This record gives sequence, C-alpha cells and structure tokens, in this order.
Amino acid sequence: MWHRERIPLLLAFVQSVLVVGWCFTEMEAGPGAAMSTQTNGDRFKIEGRAIVPGVKTQDWVSTARVLVDGEEHVGFLRTDGSFAVNDVPSGSYVVEVVTPTYRFEAVRVDITSKGKMRARLVNYIKTSEVIRQPYPLQIRSSGPHSYFMKRETWGWTDFLMNPMVMMMVLPLLIIVLLPKVVNTNDPEMRKEMEQSMNMLNPNPELPDVSELMTKLFSGSKGSSKAGSSSKGTRPAAKRRAKKLSMQNNSADLDSWDQ
Amino acid sequence: RAAAAMAKLILLWLKCIILYNAVDAVFEDQVGKFDWRQQYVGKVRFSHFDTHVQSSKKVLVATENNVFAALNTRTGELFWRHVDKSGPEGNIDALLHHGQDAILVVGNGRLLRSWDVNVGGLNWEIVLDSGSFQKACLVGQQGTVKHVAVLEKNIISLHYLSNGHQKWIENLPDSETVDYQTVYSGGNGEVYALGIVPHSHIVIIAYSTDDGEIIKQISVEAPWLSNIVASCAVIGQGVLICVDSATPSLYMYNLNPNMDDLQMTQIPLQSLGLEVAPDFQPVLVSHQPNSAHQPLSEFFLQLGPDNFLLLQFNNGQIVTLRDFKPVRKLFSIFLFHIQKHYINLFSAETGRRLLDTTLIFVMDPNGGKPEKIYIQPFLKKDDSVGYRAMVQTEDHTLTFIQQPGRVMWTREEALSDVVTMEMVDLPLTGTQAELEGEFGKKADGLMSMVFKRLSSQLILLQAWISHLWKLFYDARKPRSQVKNEVTIENLSRDEFNLQKMMVMVTASGKLFGIDSKTGSILWRHYLNDVPSNAAFKLMVQRTTAHFPHPPQCTLLIKDKDTGLTTLHVFNPIFGKKSHVTPPALPQPILQSLLLPLMDQDYAKVLLLVDDQYKVSAFPSTKNVLQQLQEMASSIFFYLVDSSQGRLSGYRLRTDLSTEQIWEVVIPMEIQRIVSVKGKRPNEHVHSQGRVMGDRSVLYKYLNPNLLAVVTESTDTHQERSFVGIILIDGVTGRIIHEAVQRKARGPVHIVHSENWVVYEYWSTKSRRNEFSVIELYEGMELYNSTVFSSLDRPHAPQVLQQSYIFPSAISTMEATLTEKGITSRHLLIGLPSGGILSLPKMFLDPRRPEIVSEQSREENLIPYAPELMIRTEWFINYNQSISRVRGIHTSPSGLESTCLVVAYGLDIYQTRVYPSKQFDVLKDDYDYMLISSVLLALFFATMISKRLAEVKLLNRAWR
Repeated sequence: MWHRERIPLLLAFVQSVLVVGWCFTEMEAGPGAAMSTQTNGDRFKIEGRAIVPGVKTQDWVSTARVLVDGEEHVGFLRTDGSFAVNDVPSGSYVVEVVTPTYRFEAVRVDITSKGKMRARLVNYIKTSEVIRQPYPLQIRSSGPHSYFMKRETWGWTDFLMNPMVMMMVLPLLIIVLLPKVVNTNDPEMRKEMEQSMNMLNPNPELPDVSELMTKLFSGSKGSSKAGSSSKGTRPAAKRRAKKLSMQNNSADLDSWDQ
Repeated sequence: RAAAAMAKLILLWLKCIILYNAVDAVFEDQVGKFDWRQQYVGKVRFSHFDTHVQSSKKVLVATENNVFAALNTRTGELFWRHVDKSGPEGNIDALLHHGQDAILVVGNGRLLRSWDVNVGGLNWEIVLDSGSFQKACLVGQQGTVKHVAVLEKNIISLHYLSNGHQKWIENLPDSETVDYQTVYSGGNGEVYALGIVPHSHIVIIAYSTDDGEIIKQISVEAPWLSNIVASCAVIGQGVLICVDSATPSLYMYNLNPNMDDLQMTQIPLQSLGLEVAPDFQPVLVSHQPNSAHQPLSEFFLQLGPDNFLLLQFNNGQIVTLRDFKPVRKLFSIFLFHIQKHYINLFSAETGRRLLDTTLIFVMDPNGGKPEKIYIQPFLKKDDSVGYRAMVQTEDHTLTFIQQPGRVMWTREEALSDVVTMEMVDLPLTGTQAELEGEFGKKADGLMSMVFKRLSSQLILLQAWISHLWKLFYDARKPRSQVKNEVTIENLSRDEFNLQKMMVMVTASGKLFGIDSKTGSILWRHYLNDVPSNAAFKLMVQRTTAHFPHPPQCTLLIKDKDTGLTTLHVFNPIFGKKSHVTPPALPQPILQSLLLPLMDQDYAKVLLLVDDQYKVSAFPSTKNVLQQLQEMASSIFFYLVDSSQGRLSGYRLRTDLSTEQIWEVVIPMEIQRIVSVKGKRPNEHVHSQGRVMGDRSVLYKYLNPNLLAVVTESTDTHQERSFVGIILIDGVTGRIIHEAVQRKARGPVHIVHSENWVVYEYWSTKSRRNEFSVIELYEGMELYNSTVFSSLDRPHAPQVLQQSYIFPSAISTMEATLTEKGITSRHLLIGLPSGGILSLPKMFLDPRRPEIVSEQSREENLIPYAPELMIRTEWFINYNQSISRVRGIHTSPSGLESTCLVVAYGLDIYQTRVYPSKQFDVLKDDYDYMLISSVLLALFFATMISKRLAEVKLLNRAWR
C-alpha cells in the first residue's frame, strides 16, 4: 500500500510547505445582514394551485413544497393541491413547486409595494420580458421527472437494421443465393460466368473460390463507381445525408441553448 | 468544398454526441445498488402519539430543525415529513393534536397551520397578527373540540379547528403591565387567560367561547409568585395550584366564575408532612388527557432532584397518594417513573403500581442519559394496560421500546446535524496484512524468503478455499436466510477500496462510524462534555496503511466563545478512544495544521497555533521536534481575522516561535471577508497543461499555496453591493488576481481546485444566480517544470474568466476527486429542491468560444451559451431528494474512474459517481452473453466451414 502514500513530484518538492488549515476565526454567513433591511413593510401572500393531471392529490402533496427564490420562503400544499406562501415582502420572485416525482415549470411573480401581483414566464436571459401567466398561479405538471438514462439494449432488430450490417449482409446474400438461382451445373452458363470473371480478373491462374470472391468484391466496387445506374441516385442520397446532418446539428445547438 | 464542410459538420455532430454521452447519469437498474439514503428529522421538541384510531401506527414529531413528521411506530421509518424554512421563521412553537388534525404554531406565533395527519397534507394555514407567541390550547365544549385559542403578548384569539378562520379576537387588558403567560380551557365554554405582575398579583380573565365576551376579570394577590408557567398548574375542576418554595406551601385558587374568592388558599407543605430540598425550586406537573374535559385531579409535585410525590386534590383537600423517593428522574405527561433503567406504570387514581408494567431497558453505554420519555398506553385484549415508550436521550437518539424491554427501533437523530466528516480506508484482513508484511520486512536469507513466500501462498489458497466453501454453503440456503451483515469484526477492504468507513461528527457531540456500503452504523461515541456552540475539525493523523499501528483520528473541539480547545483522539475503525494522551491546551487556539511530516509511528504531525503565536506539536516526540527544526524554514501558515478584515502570513522559526511575514488588510468599512478557501491537500493533478487546437500546450498555474478569499460589501443596497474575490499566495502574500462582481451579493459558494476557482453569487441587477469561473495559466512555457515554489515564480499567471446564468439557487457545492486526477472533474451542486446535480466542469470553462472556430472544435470546447442547464438526468440522487444539503464530501476510491460522494444535511446520501464513465472496469451492463455467444458461434462456424471445405475438396478430388 506504499504507493498510496506517494505524493506526486510536484507536491513533494514544494519548497514551502503550506498546509492549508482551517480557519478558526468564526465567519458570519452572508444572508442575515442582507435580509434585515426588508423586514419592515407590508407582507403579501402568493397563491396558486398545482395540478398533476390524472393523479390523486393525496398521492403526491405530502412530498411537495413550494419554494420561493430557493428556500427564502417556503409554502406547503393543501390536500386539494392549492397553496399559499405567506409573509412575502414586495419584490420579484421565482416560484417553484418541487416534488421528487413530478416536474413543474417555475413562474416569476412580481409584487409591487402596494401588493399588486402578476405572474410571468421565467426568462433568465431577458429578465424584463413579460409573458403573462394567470394569477393566482395555475401550475400544471408536465409529467414525471426523467432521472434515468436508457441502457443501450441489444436486440436482433437493432443489429440487423444497422446500415453497416445491411451493407455486409446484402452482398453476402447475393453471393450465396446467386449461384443457387443460376444453375452452375449447366456447362454453358458456367462458361459464360468464367468468361465474365476472367474479364474482371487480370490473372486467371488462381482458381481458389475465396480469392475469387474477394476479387469479385473489389471488382464490383470498381464497376459500381463506373456504373451509370448509381449515378442518378447518388446526389439525392448525398443531399439527404446533408440535410440529416444539418438537422442533427441544429438539434444540438438547440440543446446547448436550453 | 461542400463535402469538406459536410464532413466537418458531421464531425461536430459526432463530437456533440460524444460530449453528451460523456456526462454520467444513473441507469434505472442501478437504483439502490451502491447508493443509500437515510432521512432524519432532528432533535424532537414535541411529540404526540396518534391515538384517534386504535390501529394507528403514527407518532407525530415536531423538532428543533423545524421539521414536522410522522414516524411509523413499528419500524421507525417516516410516513411523511415536512421541512420548513430553517432559522427562527420556521421555528415550531407549539404542537397540538386532535383527532386527524395537528395544529402547529410556527415562527414565534406568526403562522397557524393545521395538518392532516393521515395524508400528510396541509388543511389550512393562516397568518396571526404579531410575533409574540405565549401559549396555545385547544378549546372544547360539551365533549367536542372545535376551536383553538392562541395567546400572544397583548391579544387572545380563537380560531375554528376546521378551517382556521378567526372566531373572535380580543385585546388583553393592561397588557403593558401584565405579563400574560398561559391560557387554559376546561371544556365548559370558557377560556381563561392567566397573567401575572411579578411579585404582586395574578390576573385571571375568563372569556366566553361563543363571542369573546369577558365573563369575569379578577386580580388575586400573589406577592411571592414570579412565574406562572414554572410554578403553577391547573388541576381538577379548574383549580389553579401554585407552589412557593420560600414559605414553603401550596396555594390554591378556584377559577370557576361562580366563586368569588379574592385570596388564594394557603396549605403549608408541613401540614402534609412534606419538605422541600434546599435550593430547589419545586415543580408542579398536571395532565389533561382530553382538552374537551377537565384535567385530572391528580398531580405531581417535585420537591427535590430525586423526590417526587403523587398528590390528589379532593374536595378542597390534598392527599398524598404515593411518594417516589428513590426516583432518579421523573418525566412529565404521564404517570410513571424511571428508576435507573426501569419504567413502571402507576395508576393515577390510587398511586398503585400496575402489575406487569415494568419495562427494563438497557442504555447504550456510548450514548447519553435519558432526557424525555413519551408513553403510548393501550388496552390489551384482556383489558389490562399495555404501553410502549419512546425514550429521547441527550445525544438526540430516539429509542422505541416495547414491553418487557425489547427495543423496536432506534433513530440516531444526531445525524441530522452532521458538521464534518472523513472517509477512512478500511483495514486489511489478517491474511492481506500478512502478505503486505512479507514485502515490508527486511530479507533474512534466501531459504527463509522462499519459505515465507510459500507459506503466504498457502494462506491465500486456504482463504480462497474457505471462501468457495462459504459460497457453496450459502447457495444451498434460501436467499432470505443468508445474512451479509457487516460488523466491526468482519470489516475489511474490498478489491477496489470502494467500501470505506465514514467518520461523522455531529453538532451534538456524538461521533459515528458508518459503513459506506450499507449505511449501517458500526460504532457510536457520545462526547458529553462538548459545549453547545462548539466548532469541530476532524483530521486523519494515521491511515490504516501502517499495520500494526492502529489508524488514528483527531477531533479538535473548540468553544467558539472562549476559543479553548480540546482534542479527542480515537481509532476511526472501532471508535474507541486512543491510549495516546492529547496535550492539554490552556491557551485559545487560532489555527491548526496537519503537516505531511510523520513521526516514527507514522502519525502525521499536527501543529496548533495559540493566541500568543506559539506553536505546539502533537505528537511532540523528540523525533518530531527534530524534524520540525529541520523543516521549520519551509513551514508557513496563515491566519484570518474576519472581524478586523485582516489576513496575515507567518513563518515557523526553529524554536517553534513564529514570525509574521506578510499582512493584507481588507478595509472593514467597505467589505468583509466571508470565506477563505485553499486547495484540498489530497488532490492530485495529472496533466500539467492543456493541449490546444494547434498542438501547442497551455500550462496550468498549479500553485498549491493559493488561497481564494471571498469578500462581500457591507453596503447591501442592490445598486451598490458587490462580491469580491482575491487570489492570494499563502506563502508570500502576493495578490495573484482580484475580481469584483458588481451588483451582486452572497451567499457565495466557492470551489477551489487545480488551476481554477468556481463561485456562485446572486446578481441583484438581473435577479438570478450566476456562476463565474476563473482559470489560471502559466502560458505556453513552464517556468520551472519540476518544482513549484511560491518564492520563485516571477511571471504572473494569465487569468481567464467567464460567467454563466444558473437557473436555480444552490445550497452547497463541491468538486469530484479521484485518486490520480486523470478523470475529468464534475461539480456536485446541492439544490434547494433536494437534487444533487453533477455538472461537468467542461461547461464552466472560460475558454468556451463565442464563435466556433476550427481550433476550438479540435479542442472539444463547447460553444459559449449564457445559461447553464439543469437536466434531471444529471441528478446523481434521482428521486432520493436530500433536504437542506449542508455539505458534500468527496473522496477518491481505489478506482481512478470512481469518486465516492456523501451528501449530508437533514438527510445523508451516499453514492458513487463516474465523471468519465467507468473506463477502468467492465460496466454493469457488459453483455457477457453476447460476447460468449458470438465467440461460440464463430467457433462453430469455423468448424463447420472447415468440414464443408474438406468435403468439397474430397469431392473435387474424386471428380
């Protein structure tokens, strides 16, 4: 276990050993002082209702809370899903309903010093943008939280539908099936085939089947390049591929922006 | 060209996919595999058993952590729990319980809440007028409870139990002079407010429940009385009874409005044959089992620390029912007593002990003394009385005991307030240690070496066979019977050092040793002399790597007021106090530092700096002092005095005195120091630089002595407030960098690691949370690549900074840590919603470009986006939310890919994270079946094709 105690070179030879210690002098946390200025003045109430479609309120309200600006103010949900957060001074707040199972969108609530309320969509980038939301708040769950990634499961269909596999399997099928369809015992046919193969094959001395196959492969590749039939389809495919990749690209950009 | 562009696009897309995949997440089948959560409520302040249904299994608890919860009396688990705001605004002042409803008074009488006990939902919540709560009680009439009365400093109000609406509110007369302390209702349509003018008279006001009309208002002379709550009680048919220690006597007054006494009846205690213990303030305890009815006419009188009497009031006469002389401690509420560790039940009417009601319980010798006890009585099938008891001890433990003393469950509520923790490697088993010992010992001849080798090999073989045998043996037994319980005896390190001992220090002074794999508490130790405002620091002086020396941890306990410090030295694996005697520290301690120096027993040296700037070492053997003298010139430390805004650096002299070498004063009028963060001493950085897009290297500025100092402005106006950050070299005092965030305020959360500092603050201008990252680079060349010295670094580092919007508040923040620092880093962010977000450091990189260029793409930089996102897939604790996360502890494991994480707050959660996925072990979902089937299939395919080829060749040969 000695290697565990080995300290990297960089640290071992540090000339000045400074041990970053723990500061004993007590330090006050920030928020106390900042909040004290707001204690005077009127206090207001943020009201609303949270709805999970298709689920009984008893099943989820006991795990839910309403958080206003983090944990600055906390409210609880009544058994019918409605809530009220009391004792909130005027200002602008982000109100969230938090449960471990269901997802709710946050809403920004502005309270004027006279107690006028309005609710709008949260937009952290354009903070002054106003898209009104109903007040008293109506927060509808957009479904359960998705916490888990899907495992990459392995199925025969995935495997077979893979383009690489398709590309390999189809020629294989052709190679295997073609000799069966075309009667190889027929001497004329055989001659014809041999002729065609000789045309493709520059040195006809090698009779090995496997080598022939590979030759056929490389030969067919060459021929498809020259073949006129593929010419028509290619640009279309290319265009499609490009479009696809662009779509993907834009999707990714979207995901960064989120 | 188009093709090239397309290729690039595809490349970018691929990279994005890779990036996306690199972010770790939890898979559904991993739930509970290596993570666990424990939920706590805190120290219980009020507790009620839910008795309105016979079969109810609930006990309601309201705690000092502002938590209201229902526990299962059978298992001790939570039914539901509501966590209110921390601090005085969420403080629970009173808990009343009636039927299905529980009424809470919260925030010094600011809010009145009613909870549905069954569902755990809120019935109603109303705001009360002022925050000067005195007392609340349920008000019953004709056998039913419909109202709740709340007494405040100058008003009394009555509310409906069903919806919280106010029935009436009345001002209390003469509230400037009279101190109204308690409210009482006997279930006969009247509510009594009892007030006192100390050492003069008692004021009694009877209100009508219907309309709040004053039925009777009377003052009674009581010049000897100073506090009603402490020395009075209401018993029987509305008789106020008070005790006076000076006379000594009991005073009685009938509250009934038809009686018009102006004097209290005095009954000298001597006439009852009783005596008060000297210097003892007698205490009266009464009990009102149902608020719709009168209290019992029996009551307790405590005359001395261990002298209790059960008295009965009967037609103006007081009768002594029983004298509990040898009682150690008696608890209110119910009529029982606890003598050493026995609980007995007594009949209140007769004072006789009920048969078969003795309950014996064994206290944990490592726990505290019992403090409170809650009794749940019930009628058995044969009409005899049975009961269960919930005992609360000084160390905040709840123990639920059933007759005749079987402990049903215990809850270690001290763990709701973990202050600091460490993770300690488990020791090697005997065989492992033997093997290690072989390599450690000096060689003594070839033959003996060979012999030793063989014998250790034999031991391994033996261990393996016994392991196999155990596996075989267990496999034959049914699943449920196989117990893999972890005890201290069979603790040993696993292959990858993933299982560790979590040593947790709680604010109550109780220490715990918890197995990180299962979460079971392996040892506990209560330090009963810890001051209530203590600060703790836990250090591992010797790890388990130095067999046969036992591992050693040192806990520094400092009284925040006096600065006096004590040391508790213990073995972190067994929790036992060490034989090493810690030094006595008569002076207040300012700073402590654990040096990498070791004494001859491999214990790291702890330096303590006292307020005279003298340094003492622990352990302080000759060997250590000699080493210290040699090293003295290179030992530096710093002190922070936040009240003066002063940071100062000191150097150690060879005679263990100190010398100040630098000082930085931050003007107190403008800003104050909020926190000072250094780097973690056990952090390793693997790569010294970053490879740029053009294949050149940008070297990191890796100064191990760098401190990040956070300041906040004293002006809290939102236009003028700011947050400052100063990077300062702890050895030389040189200010490396200074940054100010205008229109921002704290709380600031900061992580300082490698060559970067990440901090989070509240932007008052845009009303949002923002993250900022500072990275330091040496440039394209390293000044001295072998050694870093603070004294010899002429070039100032390049500083890069970038800020981002974060769409949530945060509770705490920490960075992952791995053994060699090869794995990429993630930030673990505790959110108020209870999630722990694992945010890749990649997103907080000041080199994220605004315009994507060829080079940035080459470097895998993500294009800059102002807003960071919170994806629930990145929550490492999925739906296991953790309330009020106060700290996250990260610890490396034996696997480079794996970092162990413990988040603590009200709850404790332990898990593992893989910031760069599991690159060094096979993943859980590794498909053995696929691999083996493919291999087999290939094997058979070759066999078959070989055979076919042979046949074909043969056929051809025949032709």
